[in-house]
Order: sequence, then structure tokens, then C-alpha cells
Amino acid sequence: MEAIKGRAEREEKGMASAIETRNLTKNYGKNRGIRNVNLTVEAGDIFGYLGPNGAGKSTSIRCLLGMIHPTSGEAYVLGKSVGREQTEILKRVGYMPSEAFFYPAMRVDEVIRYAAKVRGLDCGDEAKRLCDRLEVDGKKKIGQLSLGNRKKVGIVCALQHKPDLVIMDEPTSGLDPLMQEAFFELLTERNREGATCFLSSHVLQEVKQYCRHAGIIRDGELVKVESVENLTKTNLRRIKVIVPEEAWESLGERLSRLEGTAELTQRGEEITFSYRGEMARLLKALEGVEVRDLLIAEPSLEEVFLHFYD
Amino acid sequence: MYLFWQECKMNVKMLLIWAFCVGGLSLGCLCLYDSVAESMGEMSEAFANMGVFSEALGMDKMGIGTLEGYYAVEICILISLGGAMFAAMLGAGMVAKEEEGHTCEFLNALPLGRGRIIGEKYAAMTALLVVFHGICVVFSLAGFAWMGSMPDLEHFAGYHGTAFLMCLEIGTVCFLLSALRSRKPLGPAIGLAVLLYLLDLFSRVVPALEKLKVMNPFSYSNGADIFSGVKSPEGSWAVGAAVTILALGLASWGYGKRDLV
Repeated sequence: MEAIKGRAEREEKGMASAIETRNLTKNYGKNRGIRNVNLTVEAGDIFGYLGPNGAGKSTSIRCLLGMIHPTSGEAYVLGKSVGREQTEILKRVGYMPSEAFFYPAMRVDEVIRYAAKVRGLDCGDEAKRLCDRLEVDGKKKIGQLSLGNRKKVGIVCALQHKPDLVIMDEPTSGLDPLMQEAFFELLTERNREGATCFLSSHVLQEVKQYCRHAGIIRDGELVKVESVENLTKTNLRRIKVIVPEEAWESLGERLSRLEGTAELTQRGEEITFSYRGEMARLLKALEGVEVRDLLIAEPSLEEVFLHFYD
Repeated sequence: MYLFWQECKMNVKMLLIWAFCVGGLSLGCLCLYDSVAESMGEMSEAFANMGVFSEALGMDKMGIGTLEGYYAVEICILISLGGAMFAAMLGAGMVAKEEEGHTCEFLNALPLGRGRIIGEKYAAMTALLVVFHGICVVFSLAGFAWMGSMPDLEHFAGYHGTAFLMCLEIGTVCFLLSALRSRKPLGPAIGLAVLLYLLDLFSRVVPALEKLKVMNPFSYSNGADIFSGVKSPEGSWAVGAAVTILALGLASWGYGKRDLV
């Protein structure tokens, strides 16, 4: 019901996409930046932005937040032009950087209040609720906090003003598993209330569990944008066959000749490999072999991710 | 104005250390005047006849045999040099500290805009310099009052006003460096303050360097000149104002164009 209400509000506001980039490029000379990134994140989505270190995730995010100026291309956030209407964008965005640094001499509650007051808002009640949920001690000095605790302060600062778009760069790094769960609860609550969430992450499991769509960036180029469900729905399969010892050699030869077979390994009675192709051809290759067991599995998100990086 | 107050709060410790050191030194030197007054009279005569050395320190215009002369020649140097170094350090740290301390992402994700960030930080720097000079004025007046002899207030106000403008000019140039760099340019900033002071000394004694006076903020804020009624080099005010405005404009433009890391 809340999701429908949130969607209705967004439609009323005329927001089709929360983030849209067109050929967004940032050139750092010899260093890699991003190249021709065309990305659309629909309003109300939870979007996972995947890629290894240095792939261009943070560069993309910093371009969207106006911290770095793109070499070419355009970007729109919440229907407003990045750069030209940056302050308007930032009023409606909650951002948490990957490192979450604050002024070390300030107390936690001072930082949280400061982030709210600069926006001209009194977010005291919401900040208190978030601090309670995340077990944040407001009286501690920032300089005394670990990375995980700084992250929690960052989450409070990013969510307390109930933004329309939440952008978080590796939000769970440094958080313990309980806090990770609390964080995703808060995020999904905000999403149900209508907020769009854009998370960059290394952790495929959390993307699979919480995100509806994901984009994979490699060497500064966006190589795939797809629903998380469809990402794992490829014709790639992990195959495990258990055959008697005398059949290993002949089956191994047949499989190595079979087009679409890769990563063929044999351990004990098991022969495992990945296969991309028609199932009928695979079954034909197994004909005449005494197959004791056969397991055909869809690839995990990890395998899909690695596939894009091979 | 939250950023303004935040900046003031973050720099208040440095302000108090510098202001109490420079102001306290000024007060201490004034209070010690009586105990050194006798030797000052002899020294004053000796210094007045030391040619270029006395010209460099302004002792050809003001004798240090009187309390006001002593203040103008000796203490004003302390205040000017201390103030310039404080302004340089303050300006150098204002903007670059955000990138150096990795707080730049936090600050720039707030809906302030880079123009407002620069504006509020600059306003905070100016306010801190005003307070610094205010403290120095209070300490100096307390010293004069302790000695039972007040200075000519027009000259006194003239000196402290121009010393503030000199600090603002140096602070603004260092603020520009800070806005263009991702690490605090403390070395170049302090170097600039000391270099300008030395250039002022040299330009007072080396005729070939006299033209440099017009570009040097120390030239229009020289205590001995002001207390002896000597006018500042022609055009030095205009140059000072132009440098300050240009540096602030460039800081705002440069910071707006930069990629923040």
C-alpha cells in the first residue's frame, strides 16, 4: 500500500527517472575515469552499482553530486540538471561517502544537527529515531569513532531529512552484520515511503537480496544494466556430473570438444564445468555414459559478475 | 550562516593562541618599557645614526626613546609580523583542510553550493582577523594604560586598521592558494608573509627596490610611518584592494571549477 502511495506521489511530481546520464564521461588523462556512461535509474527503485575497485563507481557518484565536473555528457538527478541546478538536487539527496569522514573535534550529535541545520531543517525527531535504531552514541567525539561508527553517523546524516534519493557509496563496509541488517531495514522503509536508493557495492549478496536492478561497471564503462532477477537468468549453467572412473577419460574428451563448455575440472567422481548452449547438445554428449548423478544449476550473481570481468 | 559559525568555532583555538601570544607580547613589552627606558634613550640615538638599518626599521622617523616611538618601531613590527603569519596560516587552512581531512565530500553533499562555501569561509576568516586585531588592540591599550600614557588615538587606530587590512590581503592571497589546492599550503603561505616583510625592509633601504613598496601590504601598514605621519606609498591602497578583490574572485572561480577529491 505504501509502495503504491509512494509511486503515486512520484507520478504526481512528474518524476520518471531519479537518475539519468547520457554519455557521461570523465577523463583523468592516463588514469581511468568513466566513458560514455548511459544509465537510467527509475524513481522508486533500489539500484545496485557493481564494480571492482577503480572501475569508476565513485567517479560516477561524484559526477552526479557535482563534486567533479564531467569531461562530456549530461546527467540529470530528480529531473534537474547536474551542475546547473546542483543546490536544488542536493536539497533532495542524501549521500553517504564510502569513508564517511567528519570533523574530528565535533561531537556526533553536533555533526548530525549541523547537517540538518545547513539544510534549514529541524530533523531532531527523525535523527533520534535513526540513532536509536543504529545505536549511535550522540555524545561521543567523531575522532573517537571507528569506521563502522562513523558510517552509522553518515547513514543518519544521509537519511534524517527524508531525501527523495539516497546515494550511498559502499554503505555496509565496516558495519557489523547486525548493523548491516538494521541499515537495510531502514533503507527498505525509506524506499517503501517513496525514496529511490542508489548503492554502490562490492557485496553481491546484498545487491541480490535488496536491489531490484543492478548496473555493472568495468574499466569505466557500464557493461550491463538489468534487473537482478534477469541478471542471473542467462543461458550459462553450472553442471556437475558424477560418473564411474572408467568413463572419466572419454567423457572428458567429449565435453572438451563440446562448444560452450568452459572451466572443465575433475575431482574424484565429479566432473564440473560451465556450459553455455543448447541443453539438447549437452544431453547428446552424455549419451551412452553411465551418469550416476547430474546437477544443472543457474549461476550465482557472483559468477555473472565474474563473467563480465573475464 | 552555519558554516560561518562552524568555521569560527573550529579556528577559535588557533585564534586565541596567536592573539594572546602577540597581544600578550605587546602588553609585556609595553609594561617593561620603564625598566629599559634609560637604555632606550641611548639606543635610540645610536640607532638613529645607523643609516640603512635605522631606515629599514623606521627609526629615522620615530625615536624609541618615547613610549609611543617604542610602540611604533618595536611593537608594531611584532603585531604586523605575527598578524601576517596568523592570517597566512588561517587563510591557507580554510578551504584545503576539507580535502586534506576528507571532509570535503560531507560538506559538498550539503545543499550549500561552492559559492556559498567560499563566501562563508571567507567571512569567517575576516571575522577571525577582526577578533585577532581586537584582542591585540585591547592588550596594547591595556599596556599604555598601565604605563599611564595613552598614544595618539588617531595614529593608533590608523595603524591597527591598516595592519588589519594588510592581514586581510595576505590572508586572502593564502585563501586563494587554499581554494586551489587539496593540501593545506602552510609552507608557501608562511613563506609569503615572511618574504613580503623582508621585501618591505629591503625596499626601504635599497633604492632599486623602492618601486616594490607599492605592491607590498607591509608598506601601508608600517607603524613608524603611521605614527610619524608619513603617507603610505602612492597607489599602495589601490593595489592592496585590487589584490584582495582579485584573489577572492579567483578563489571563488577556481574552487567552482575544480574537481574535489
